[in-house]
Amino acid sequence: MDFAYSQEQQMLTESLSRVVKEDWSFEKRRKRQEQAELDSAAWNTLAELGVLGLSVPAEYDGFGESAASLLAIHQELGRGLVSEPVVPSAVMGARILAGSDNEALKQDYLGKLASGETIFSLAYEEGQRNDNLADISTQVQNQDGKLVLSGQKQAVWHAGAANVFIVSALLNGELALLLVPSDTDGIVVQDFPSMDGTRCGNIVFNQVNLDATALLASGQQALDLLNQGLDDGIVALCAHAAGAMDALLGITVEYLKTRQQFGKPLAQFQVLQHRLADMYVQKEVALSMAYVAAAAVGEADQAKKRRMLSSAKVKVAMAGRLIGESAVQLHGGMGMTHELEVGDYFKRLTFIDYLLGDTTYHLKQLEALE
Amino acid sequence: MDLNLTQEDIAFREEVRQFVATALPQDIKDKVFKHQRLENTDYIRWHHALDDHGWGAPSWPVEFGGTGWTALQKLIFEIETFKGGAPRLLPFGLSMIGPVLMKYASPEMQQRFLPRMLRIEDWWCQGYSEPGSGSDLASLKTRAEKTPEGYVVNGQKTWTTLGQYADWMFCLVRTDPDAKPQRGISMLLIDMRQPGVTVRPIKTLDGGHDVNEVWLEDVKVPYENLVGNENEGWTYAKYLLGHERTGIAGIGLCYRELQILKDLAAEVQWNGKPANQDSRLKDKISLIEADIIALEMMLLRIASDSTQGPGPQASVLKIRGSEVQQDLAKLQLEVMGLNGWPYSPSWLEAGSDVFGPGHGFAAAASANYFDMRKTTIYGGTTEVQKSIIAKQILDV
Repeated sequence: MDFAYSQEQQMLTESLSRVVKEDWSFEKRRKRQEQAELDSAAWNTLAELGVLGLSVPAEYDGFGESAASLLAIHQELGRGLVSEPVVPSAVMGARILAGSDNEALKQDYLGKLASGETIFSLAYEEGQRNDNLADISTQVQNQDGKLVLSGQKQAVWHAGAANVFIVSALLNGELALLLVPSDTDGIVVQDFPSMDGTRCGNIVFNQVNLDATALLASGQQALDLLNQGLDDGIVALCAHAAGAMDALLGITVEYLKTRQQFGKPLAQFQVLQHRLADMYVQKEVALSMAYVAAAAVGEADQAKKRRMLSSAKVKVAMAGRLIGESAVQLHGGMGMTHELEVGDYFKRLTFIDYLLGDTTYHLKQLEALE
Repeated sequence: MDLNLTQEDIAFREEVRQFVATALPQDIKDKVFKHQRLENTDYIRWHHALDDHGWGAPSWPVEFGGTGWTALQKLIFEIETFKGGAPRLLPFGLSMIGPVLMKYASPEMQQRFLPRMLRIEDWWCQGYSEPGSGSDLASLKTRAEKTPEGYVVNGQKTWTTLGQYADWMFCLVRTDPDAKPQRGISMLLIDMRQPGVTVRPIKTLDGGHDVNEVWLEDVKVPYENLVGNENEGWTYAKYLLGHERTGIAGIGLCYRELQILKDLAAEVQWNGKPANQDSRLKDKISLIEADIIALEMMLLRIASDSTQGPGPQASVLKIRGSEVQQDLAKLQLEVMGLNGWPYSPSWLEAGSDVFGPGHGFAAAASANYFDMRKTTIYGGTTEVQKSIIAKQILDV
């Protein structure tokens, strides 16, 4: 084990930290959030920094970095509440596409994914809760050498911004993953803002005609790939959450040092100090669990790997709730207003509980291991 | 001691249920169950319906035009009206300044203001918190200077709930800057419809507008609008807070939200079955229901114990009630799953066409979770309530 950042990780983290402070400032972030469309300048900034090519193998014009790099980078993105589709595209999309055997699609798309030209999103959930990724209704049928896709996907992270969807569907009763450009005939995307302002969308696939070459994987390989994509997503999301928690704790400490009641700063009240200490302890739990998630990606024992990832997601979500709720409480009435960024962090930390499987989902995954 | 409902109590409960079923307008009921925003006129319509039935002041004694109900009847009324989808009663007149005027104001002031509270002829708001005075309320700085014509008030109030509709504010002001903080405070009734009063909205976490900032600049208040005696306002303020905190316990609201939670859990599918068949979720719902049952009995015990109005035990009710309300909102969102993701503030008025089971509730589930964080802050934070319990009840 080695906890030190490599020189490359160190450099990228530092420049990212600078750029995020500048370009994802409170005002700029808020302004972007009011628009439904992706801010292409912000997206290009992330591409130029190398964030989008991190998980793309070097032979496809990426950097071929490991999950440990996700840990370093996504903490910085979380500190600044960067809400662009980095995880759906550059983490999950890259991982699934890079892991498939479809060489033509890899040649066509991985380079464009790394440069930010093409944005991916993963369409795998369908409305009501289901703990089995392969228990879905969306169907794809082989008709005269063509693939025809029909079904609905719900709450797809950044569906509106994506040019390409990776879609899970049943092919001859087996799970399959397909690469589907969003401008294909028969696709309707209903874009909506979600609880923290992040755009998501519901997608209807109505008899969508695809070439047979759109198939990324099927059967066990499709399930494995889907899980690998989601697992990398969990690593990034946990790191993002830990970074956001760290920033929110810092903001709260500063506020309590400044705000005076009963003739002294709030920070001098022991009951509030202890609450801050509780937040710090949970932030450390979350950060440790982000490391656990990153370590899990290289774990060969599948049961152990699943336990590490789902445990990480659950504990990070719980820490995020405690820190978000406490930060609002410690800010008092001001914490309830839209005027401060406390609420932005609280909402993001809440939403992270729901992304990539909520606590209920991951506890079921853990239950299944026993 | 008799811990069970009598035949009369049961008949009364039935009477309230029947009344709500017939008198509550359907559009208001729909908004309440979907957590959509109520207009000021929605509240007023409900108050008028109650007053038309002789129930305009359910918590007041008969001599002031109230129903004269017992603590148990008041509780039954609150629970049944909330369960039936009625809006909360506007607390500012009926349960905040009303009881203060009954106890401390002159007969002339009582005559002038109390009868108008039953039909919301005056919309009241609270002038307590200031930007620099939240938990430390007694440090408030809004000044009232004496002139031959009356007081002249200058200062700023904040977190003024529904102040955008207000005709009158009950306002804490400093009348003696040299006295100890608690000793130099008076309570004035301020006409909001006059020059010098400016109300500005505060946008909250859920994107909504319930609370306001209020600026008072050279606002003239005649001496007859002083409540009770000058410099004794802190006593009245605390008496009012006891009522406010008991109200925040929100037993009726808890029962209604529990019902919404159960309805959602029956409708939403988890792994192809209704969510309410999941044993872990069942446990969580059962525990919240147990909390509510405890809260109800706690309210009755404390109410039967305090003929002089709520004392420091109101803090116990406020802590428990606010926590239960937060737990309910959190669990509702959890049950919604993916359907709880979409949210836009405008949907609280117009509803949403973005998918989902839950009678259109989906669009409000996250907003409600965020908004309910206020319950452990307003009316005195949980931290303040704990200090009251330690100092005033446990004497430490």
